[in-house]
Amino acid sequence: MNAVALVARREISVRSRTKGYRYGLLVTAVLVAVLAALPKLMGGGTDYTVGLVGTQTDRLQAALTAQVQPGADLTIKVTRYAGEAAARKAVADGDVEAAVVENATVISKTVVGRGLSVILDTAHRMVATEENLTAAGLDPAKVGQAQQVRPMKEVTLNGSGEDATVRTVIAVTIVVILFMLLMQICTWVAMGVVEEKGSRIVEILLTAVRPWQLLAGKVIGLGVLGLSQILVIAAVGLVAAQVTGAVPELPDGTYGVVAGAIVWFLLGYAFYAAMYAAIASLVSRQEELSGVLTPATMLLMVSYLIGFLAVQSPDGTLTHVLSIVPPFSGMVMPVRAAVIEVPLWETGLAMGLMLLAAAVMLLAGGRIYQRAVLRTGARVRWREALSSAS
Amino acid sequence: MLEVDGLRKRYGDTVALDGVSLTVGPGEMFGFVGANGAGKTTTMRIVMGVLAADGGEVRWRGRRAGFETRRRFGYMPEERGLYAKMRVAEQIEYFGMLGGMGAEAARRSSEALIERLGLTERRGDNVDSLSLGNQQRVQLAVALIHEPEVLVLDEPFSGLDPIAVDALAAVLAERTAAGVPVVFSSHQLDLVERLCDSVGIIKAGRMIAGGTVSELRARESRKRLRVVVTGAESGWADRLPGEIISKTDRPPHGDFAQAEATGRYDEVILTPADDQEVLRVATSAGRVQHFGWQEPSLAEIFREVVA
Repeated sequence: MNAVALVARREISVRSRTKGYRYGLLVTAVLVAVLAALPKLMGGGTDYTVGLVGTQTDRLQAALTAQVQPGADLTIKVTRYAGEAAARKAVADGDVEAAVVENATVISKTVVGRGLSVILDTAHRMVATEENLTAAGLDPAKVGQAQQVRPMKEVTLNGSGEDATVRTVIAVTIVVILFMLLMQICTWVAMGVVEEKGSRIVEILLTAVRPWQLLAGKVIGLGVLGLSQILVIAAVGLVAAQVTGAVPELPDGTYGVVAGAIVWFLLGYAFYAAMYAAIASLVSRQEELSGVLTPATMLLMVSYLIGFLAVQSPDGTLTHVLSIVPPFSGMVMPVRAAVIEVPLWETGLAMGLMLLAAAVMLLAGGRIYQRAVLRTGARVRWREALSSAS
Repeated sequence: MLEVDGLRKRYGDTVALDGVSLTVGPGEMFGFVGANGAGKTTTMRIVMGVLAADGGEVRWRGRRAGFETRRRFGYMPEERGLYAKMRVAEQIEYFGMLGGMGAEAARRSSEALIERLGLTERRGDNVDSLSLGNQQRVQLAVALIHEPEVLVLDEPFSGLDPIAVDALAAVLAERTAAGVPVVFSSHQLDLVERLCDSVGIIKAGRMIAGGTVSELRARESRKRLRVVVTGAESGWADRLPGEIISKTDRPPHGDFAQAEATGRYDEVILTPADDQEVLRVATSAGRVQHFGWQEPSLAEIFREVVA
């Protein structure tokens, strides 16, 4: 097995064995599953129980159940009572949430909930209108037909039609997960570099492998872990959304958006991992790490915040431009792509530029690492790390 | 043969190495001795290619040692380095495979070393749960796992108990018996004297003495005679021909009861003008308990040349 593969394998086996990794992955997966299933879980209250009393109960019941759209997350259970007293008792005992008496009175313990109130009101109006129209001499059948109204179609100007909310949720999820994963995995890279440098293992390692092999193995190994994490999260999220039926139909191109986000993760990771490794190689102790990493972390944070901004205004000038400029594009472009249709050439350009930036960063980072990693003790200055003499 | 030829290294204005040369033959154990900061570690790091020299070169079997050559060297750095959160056996195997062994060969070699170094019960433990002495054994195993052609060990004995020292010495002796040149640095000069075929003394980046321990002794200009006499009159030693280096009338271990029985105790170390005349003076003065040449220890030679 070649050196890079050996180093990568060690990173994967040692890191995936840590409790932090296992629990982290488990918690994230559960979190994503819960998020995806949340609408369904929260919708637990949409089972209504209604009591009916009086001569119009048949028509009322029909009007109530007619409001349940096929596939919607709503059930209405109807119980009939002989008289008002029985209905009052049922309400008082909590057997039903509300009871309608003679299509004229609603009895409830306190105020009728807003959702149920709308349903009862609609049913009441339908039946009462029908009654009135029939009384005015119209054909009951025609009245019934006239009452069949199709619900309004929603059109949103900002975003793509009825999927806008879902798209926003997906975009937010993508930017949060990208940020968390980049931050986590790149920090692992940095900590690994310092661990080896600080403990001088690197001295032994570098008699057997070349610096670039060591760095490449580390970045690839931890990258594989990050990728497996993002794949697990994506799979859990999509499956949970489908299974629970929280999102009856994912917007067109969701799978493309998710696939794109994975590509962006890889590009962003290559860029930031090289940067973090180079910076980490300047110091010898973990305590010095967070200080020296601050500029890189800031860059990542700024990308993240702009990515968030892009959820709301995917076509603002700032977000539009930064979705193409690396390294910001790494988080802004996947968000834009999730919210709106991005022209293919823009995606292509952004990816090309990011790829270039990552390549430059890998080369430069590799050189800095090579020069600085054996110089233990005091922090290595940038100028020294970049100067040609090693 | 490992040849280090005229190594130079400077850090800014400080000269760390000023033309260090040494040679270690096959199966030879070379003890590298010097005060702190004299340049031992710098030399060893350059030999291992961990540090670049400003001048000079390192040759192995007559050829300039490059990266591929050095992969076949075994190295134990001054500051120990192991992955804290990696199991003992796994870690040793990992370094074996990095050193170019196949997985199976690395496993077998690692098992043998673990057994040899008495780590069998700890083979599945994380390194950071081991005692320092055991960590050092793992460190040594890491240096030995790929059956290196040359061993370069920086302070391998520091911090070891006498039993661990013996175990390590035995392992090193095995390697030299197999023809491997071994270079190690140490401040434990008695140990160096006991184990090494040859010794190099470095001071301020220069090799100031080198050779076998007996060669170093031979170079010692003054020859010392140690004479112990009991029951003599005081002042007899003044009649000894030569330069007296030290003189005491305190018996060893403060054994005055013994001295009471035998009379006055005198121990004289001197550089004699005429050793036979010294013996005659001693026998006429009292009872000669000891008369012999005193070999300077490596520690004494070291102090002398470094001073």
